Amino acid sequence: MFAAMDIAAGSVKRAQPGEVLVTADGVGKAYANGTIALRHVSFEVKQGEFVTIVGPSGCGKSTLLRLVAGLGSVSAGSVSICGLPPERARRECHDMAFVFQDATLLPWRTVLRNVELPLQLSKVAPAERRARAVQALATVGLTDVLREYPRQLSGGMKMRVSIARALATQPELLLMDEPFAALDELTRSRLNVELLRIVALAGWTVLFVTHNVFEAVFLSSRVLVMSRRPGRIVAEVPVDLPYPRDPAIRTSLDFNMIVSKVTAALSEE
Amino acid sequence: MRSPKREVRYGRGNASDEGDPVLSWEEDQPDTSLVPAQSRVRTMLENVLPPVAGLAVLIGAWIAVIRWQHTSPLIAPSPGDVVNGFRDNAGDLLTAVWSTFQDAALGLALSIVVGVLLAVVMSQSKLLERAIYPYSSLAQTVPIFAIAPLIGTIVGNSQLPVGHLPIVLVSFIIAVFPIIANSILGLTSVDPSHRNLFKMYNASRLQELLFLRVPFAVPYILTGVRVSSGLAIIGAIVGEVYLGNGGPQDGGLGYETWTAGTQGQWGLLGASALSAGLLGVGVFIALGALNTVVLRRWHESALRPES
Repeated sequence: MFAAMDIAAGSVKRAQPGEVLVTADGVGKAYANGTIALRHVSFEVKQGEFVTIVGPSGCGKSTLLRLVAGLGSVSAGSVSICGLPPERARRECHDMAFVFQDATLLPWRTVLRNVELPLQLSKVAPAERRARAVQALATVGLTDVLREYPRQLSGGMKMRVSIARALATQPELLLMDEPFAALDELTRSRLNVELLRIVALAGWTVLFVTHNVFEAVFLSSRVLVMSRRPGRIVAEVPVDLPYPRDPAIRTSLDFNMIVSKVTAALSEE
Repeated sequence: MRSPKREVRYGRGNASDEGDPVLSWEEDQPDTSLVPAQSRVRTMLENVLPPVAGLAVLIGAWIAVIRWQHTSPLIAPSPGDVVNGFRDNAGDLLTAVWSTFQDAALGLALSIVVGVLLAVVMSQSKLLERAIYPYSSLAQTVPIFAIAPLIGTIVGNSQLPVGHLPIVLVSFIIAVFPIIANSILGLTSVDPSHRNLFKMYNASRLQELLFLRVPFAVPYILTGVRVSSGLAIIGAIVGEVYLGNGGPQDGGLGYETWTAGTQGQWGLLGASALSAGLLGVGVFIALGALNTVVLRRWHESALRPES
């Protein structure tokens, strides 16, 4: 508890609750070969929200997330983070972190040194980056494997290291691209619970991408449903279930009503 | 360097309260005490016996051919002649091996420095790669006996301290290409998702090079070095033949082999050729061990197979 509170307190600049962090306005993306991945995608993410984009495989939802991160350029419309283009926001605010589909750990670095990497890249002093990395790893429950190498870890543990790496940078906005897709169902639902706990502690705003409707509803305060390619947002489903969410909620009637609403929107288009 | 001995206990977050066990890895280490001693002996025999048997068959066949054909020692040496060649010239051969080893080691070291630097430069710019890469392969395809005398005259007439330098340069020219080729491959085949990670954290080009590309390329570079180690020895020997100053001290194995060949001392010829071969194998094994030491923590190539 103590560790995570420190992480939140260490942040330099925080958006106010309800302030708009991400704006996508009429975003379109076409590739050089003529494939249209996205068409007229508009949405907003406010501070403190957990927004999930759910859609079928290949609908362009990962592409959309990469555009928000500034890892690609839009063909139409615009994306802004706190009013800035993503690449500038990334450079000037240092308050965005990306968790990729695979854990993207560097195999030649120990767990600890992997979590230290982003801090090392932004030239944080060695003592401080060590302390912050240790704290982040404590928050995800991985203090026993600091000196292990990634190949010695299970898939779920690797993903937790990846989340710790994001945590260590004390981001305001966390972008997650199907982070649990490669894990078994049991590990996935356990990490879902753990992610919600960390998000609440760290005060993250999250934009999450998945094709799993249950995961989307369990995690989010709002679900955006995307259509098949070219991807558009065809429905927006608010999830009015209070946080903190008990794992048992997944069998409740309210939960399953929302799940079937999202599923209906998915199959409608 | 931080001391790996220093053990600090950190307080746990409340993640473990979720009942999520944090695995202890000691339990997963292979426990050799469970492997019966008999099977360990067996594994050793399986490793040692085949190469020994292979060598015995080879030498047996060699002896048989010489005996059955009643080949004169003036035409071809028997294994005995080669052994005698070793015995009668042990001092000279040792001096020659040492001299060749030094030339080849310097040639290889120069190849590593220049090869990796060139590869780094090429990895940073496609245009530079196109400008340099095609010509770097010239280094290994141009007949070295065309260049060796040139190197001799150029270095000999320059202000450089000559010594073994021309020999080292010949060794370098032959050895550098595999290092360039392997380093380029390693530096440019970094996983795109890792590149995105670095981009996400606003890494500079230099940081991407130092923290991502170079560490990723290390196994490739080491493979290049192992391939080049044999070439460096061949290069040194060829260089010694053309540019050595005579005697095992300055002419190394090149001189020994050349004089033995021109004087028809087949036993000595075989012994010096074998010395070169053994030197190559020794260097190859040593580099293999280096490979394992450097990569054992993380790279598949250096991990023990799990049984």
